[in-house]
Amino acid sequence: MRKFKEGKLNPAVAIIIPVYNEGSVIGDVVRSVLQEFQHVICVNDGSSDNSSEEITQAGAYLVEHPINMGQGAALQTGIEFARLIPGVKYFVTFDADGQHRTKDVHVMLQEISTGEYDIVLGSRFLGETTGLTKAKYLLLKLAIKFSNVTSGLKLTDTHNGLRVFNRHVAETMQITLPDMAHASEILELIADKKYRYKEVPVTIKYTEYSRAKGQSIVNAINIGFDMLLRKIVK
Amino acid sequence: MIVIAQIIIIASALALLFYGLSGRRSHFGRAWKKIGLLLLAIAMIIAVIFPNTTNRLAHLVGIGRGADLLLYMLTLAFITYVLNSYLQQQDAKDELCRLARRVALIDATDRYRLRRK
Repeated sequence: MRKFKEGKLNPAVAIIIPVYNEGSVIGDVVRSVLQEFQHVICVNDGSSDNSSEEITQAGAYLVEHPINMGQGAALQTGIEFARLIPGVKYFVTFDADGQHRTKDVHVMLQEISTGEYDIVLGSRFLGETTGLTKAKYLLLKLAIKFSNVTSGLKLTDTHNGLRVFNRHVAETMQITLPDMAHASEILELIADKKYRYKEVPVTIKYTEYSRAKGQSIVNAINIGFDMLLRKIVK
Repeated sequence: MIVIAQIIIIASALALLFYGLSGRRSHFGRAWKKIGLLLLAIAMIIAVIFPNTTNRLAHLVGIGRGADLLLYMLTLAFITYVLNSYLQQQDAKDELCRLARRVALIDATDRYRLRRK
């Protein structure tokens, strides 16, 4: 097994961060990730604030959506851009609000570098989670049940933004649901394309900021409706 | 007898809804919708000229009044229409997404001098 030394700049890894109006935090997040990884790609999803200046100043690759298209669309764009960087073998999706830790990414990279898995998913319910409200916890548990039923996978966390996958997945996965429903769609794709997957415990730090930016509970209805409609009429 | 008729109506309504939505991209599905629309218009004209026909038809299938029968048909047509245009809107959004992504990637690869595939 190849070891990924912490703090070592690894040219085979691309960190993909979808960004939408994160000007106040994105600079710091990018700078901290850049200390450990060479290729950081920020997809600015039509932000109306100073996100793109912050990203350029911090030194990440900036891919600009001309219009706002949603997080799923931004991830797909980031993946397609990362595929063009020579030497990139592993793709990491990472949230812009600073709730993920690079420490967890290293653990996930070690798992995927064994070659036994195509995609490694972060799970906050295997790990430690701080600052989660009761309502959000309940909603997440419901979402997990729903996703496990529709995708046929067995996971402890289905809506975690932290994922690591190999080139095979990056080249075959096509996220079409632009909005937050992409999390469920990725799981469907895993089941559909029979990717070998594994969950790894990760720690999520919920801050006041990430809570305010997070999905509203009502939006779960929108996601559920879209997913079901897609199942009924292809 | 009436219960059976009601079951048949509900089942055929669901089937119509399903086919109305799933065939939205094929010529066949689109042609059917136009024929349906035409039939609805003809049925309306007949109902205006012979007001009793809708009543008789309603009684035949176990529905109280002809007006109710029309209401049910209209509801079904409305739901099909709403879901259809929602799906069409999603399709259009998807196309727009691909176009915008292409623009974003062309711009970014030029800036960083990466080779596009």
